[in-house]
Amino acid sequence: MRGKVRKLSPPSERQATGGRMQVPLRPEIDTGTGATSGERARAMIEIASVSKRFETSGRKSHLALSDINLTVNDGAFVSILGPSGCGKSTLLYIVGGFVAPSEGVARMKGAAITGPGPDRGPVFQEFALFPWKTVLGNVMYGLRQQGVKRTEAEAQSLRLIEMVGLKGFEHFYPKELSGGMKQRVAIARTLAYRPSVLLMDEPFGALDAHTRTRLQNDLLNIWERDRKTVLFVTHSVEEAVFLSDKVVVMTRAPGRIKQIVDIDLPRPRIRAELLLDSHYQKYVVDIERMIDDGRDDAEHS
Amino acid sequence: MTSARNIVSKLSPLLACLGLLALWQVAALWLDTESFPTAWHALQTVPQVLGDPEQLLNILDSIRRMVIGFSLAVLIAIPLGLAMGRSARVSAFFNPLLMMIYPVPKAALMPVIMLWLGVGDASKTLVIFLGVSLPVIYHSFQGAKAVEEKMLWSGAAMGLSGLQRMIRIVLPAALPEILTGCRTGLVLALITMVTSEMIARQSGAGNILFNAMDMAQYDTVFAMIIIIGALGIVLDAAFDKLRWRLVKWAEPHQEILLGAS
Ligand SMILES: Nc1ncnc2c1ncn2[C@@H]1O[C@H](COP(=O)(O)OP(=O)(O)O)[C@@H](O)[C@H]1O
Ligand SMILES: [Mg+2]
Repeated sequence: MRGKVRKLSPPSERQATGGRMQVPLRPEIDTGTGATSGERARAMIEIASVSKRFETSGRKSHLALSDINLTVNDGAFVSILGPSGCGKSTLLYIVGGFVAPSEGVARMKGAAITGPGPDRGPVFQEFALFPWKTVLGNVMYGLRQQGVKRTEAEAQSLRLIEMVGLKGFEHFYPKELSGGMKQRVAIARTLAYRPSVLLMDEPFGALDAHTRTRLQNDLLNIWERDRKTVLFVTHSVEEAVFLSDKVVVMTRAPGRIKQIVDIDLPRPRIRAELLLDSHYQKYVVDIERMIDDGRDDAEHS
Repeated sequence: MTSARNIVSKLSPLLACLGLLALWQVAALWLDTESFPTAWHALQTVPQVLGDPEQLLNILDSIRRMVIGFSLAVLIAIPLGLAMGRSARVSAFFNPLLMMIYPVPKAALMPVIMLWLGVGDASKTLVIFLGVSLPVIYHSFQGAKAVEEKMLWSGAAMGLSGLQRMIRIVLPAALPEILTGCRTGLVLALITMVTSEMIARQSGAGNILFNAMDMAQYDTVFAMIIIIGALGIVLDAAFDKLRWRLVKWAEPHQEILLGAS
């Protein structure tokens, strides 16, 4: 069981050792592609030997994350997938600088992360909009904070609001919006201050299936336009495969990386085509099996 | 349809007042004692009281003390309550103190305070201050504690410092709760105002009321009750209007906007 849990080393290292990487799927495609391209992708986020221990009541402590190593390259869409409680959010919060790791270090563009900053923009499942601000007020907030003049911030925000499909709702308060619309506002609010990395914690988890699909499509469209680095937490295998370049599969308690799967599906991805694509289906099935394996292991141990 | 309902809802406080006065009138006629004048009689005495410059000055004195005590309390209680709500350390420091003061009727402290500060404005304003502070601290504390952490994280990611988050996120997010506390505080301010003047008779609305009581001028007593009651109702209504303007974004049921567009 432990043998299956492999750490991810930086891509350069992996290529140098000629390793098969962690991906048993379609190995004929992923070997050496990076090396031949010549240009080496820049590491945006590096998580090195990160563990997180929560002190719980009664002197016991809970190991939420154990020895996590992960590199996210500039412009990559990486999903963290795992059962609830396996530490996905905690890992994301560590990158966000909201939670400090107990051991190890997380780096952003080479510098150790010591706190939150506008280079890493979070989007939460709970939306976390400012209810006393209108849609426009919410989206403008970060720009105003960065000293952008009101008229300029307004113009930029209006463009973003249109981009996320909320034209006409600029002056609505959050309580007047549906869940899907709130999450659109939250995404626009974070995009507005132009973070280098988007940190999304089950952003569509609270939405109904239909809204969820629409937001996935829209997010992908937006992302394909400017190719921001995205770290995306989800517990939906389909969502992870559909959106990502790379899926990090985690195991439960203590949270460890079980496997990292490169999703080699062409972009732009069209949902209707992808669902029929046998490669897509294989990724989904294989990853689901991977998660089930983990569950059995946990039960037997 | 909506307009009819609107008119009814607008008139209902007025109808309640009239009903109360009518009840009073009937009760007074039925009891028929000198110490319980009719509502009509008491109402007629109101202009007399307000027309007397000395009485009016007394009442204005009361209002001045109330405004000062209330304002000081709000200015201190809101930041303190918010700080307690967001910091376990601040809360641990002040909590025992507040737990002790909380159940004590503030007017009961009046004699001690008078020993220190005399019977003048300072004592009475301090008692009002104490009366208003506690509910405002409590509600600010609750409001600040309930602020969603992810909201603060969102602010931190935008680059807001700790103090900025306190002022620009915790304060507005807790505002509905804070204003609930202020509204309770306003009523308590009126109550402590009258009781403090009852204990330290020197000036004020309570002074007029209890002097009249001593001299068996029951018309004036009841006129003062009407004046103080009306003051309370007007202040409360005005405050509620202000509150609504400030936190209409939080009001749960409203037919604004969505229906319109
Ligand atoms: N602030 C905290 N204090 C104590 N335990 C926590 C805290 N945050 C998370 N945990 C625990 O850490 C584990 C991982 O939590 P989380 O990262 O939220 O998981 P996920 O997002 O994968 O559902 C869970 O067992 C959770 O109970
Ligand atoms: Mg989570």
